[in-house]
Amino acid sequence: MASGKKGLIVDDATVMRIRLKDILTPQYTIVAEAENGVQALEMYEKFKPDFVTMDISMAEMNGMDALGEILRRFPDAKIVMVSAMGQKLQVYEALGKGAKDFIIKPFDPARVKKAVDRLFE
Amino acid sequence: MKAEFANPFITAAVSTFQKEVGVKLSRKDLTLKKAPVPSQSVSIVIGVTGAVRGQVVYSMDENVALSVAKAMLPGKLPAELKKLMTSAVSELANIITGQASITLAGENNIIEITPPAVFIGPGLSIDFLTMKTVCVSFISGIGSMEINIAMVDA
Repeated sequence: MASGKKGLIVDDATVMRIRLKDILTPQYTIVAEAENGVQALEMYEKFKPDFVTMDISMAEMNGMDALGEILRRFPDAKIVMVSAMGQKLQVYEALGKGAKDFIIKPFDPARVKKAVDRLFE
Repeated sequence: MKAEFANPFITAAVSTFQKEVGVKLSRKDLTLKKAPVPSQSVSIVIGVTGAVRGQVVYSMDENVALSVAKAMLPGKLPAELKKLMTSAVSELANIITGQASITLAGENNIIEITPPAVFIGPGLSIDFLTMKTVCVSFISGIGSMEINIAMVDA
């Protein structure tokens, strides 16, 4: 059932954006996609989504910097990291900056869905 | 180049193929080369910096790359798969490198990886780093793949 919540998917790989969108719709409405941190900021400002899935390794501002920048401007932003980069210090850094969750690729679709569901419980 | 750099990549490649492509990947040969020059037609290059530095070059035939795209995106038409092939193999290489980096970084270090660059040959000429390389080849039900690992401690 549609939740009415709007999401922004940030990942440099088209394949990942397609898969994340498939997992999250129709319960969530994906209002925009971005392939780097700069686009993510633009899309966040334009659409003010209820949540964001954020990749880390991307050209033109990586996801760690975009996470910090979005939260600096919008402290209530709900951001879930979905990345192949899952080294201990990176997980700590993201959660320390205010990410709500950290999912390491390869992911289980149910884990992604649950992480987003939990944001609105 | 320490041979032990290869082990995290072997483990990561086998588990990622199982999970993302649904095929069993088996290690075949391990050879030493002077540079990470790929031998198959679709190559994905990822740079590594931080606690270790160097380059990892994945290489496979186009048929294997298409099978990877098909497995990662079930239900897509062949024409779409062809367009999404580079994105699929990039992401696969990104995930394998990311997984291997978790092991290589350990508790207290950080390893950064560059976004993947994909090259489709044959007859392609790129100057790769001249760095001692361990080349690991794999076989699977969808064909073969190799990983060229050129890496040193920073």
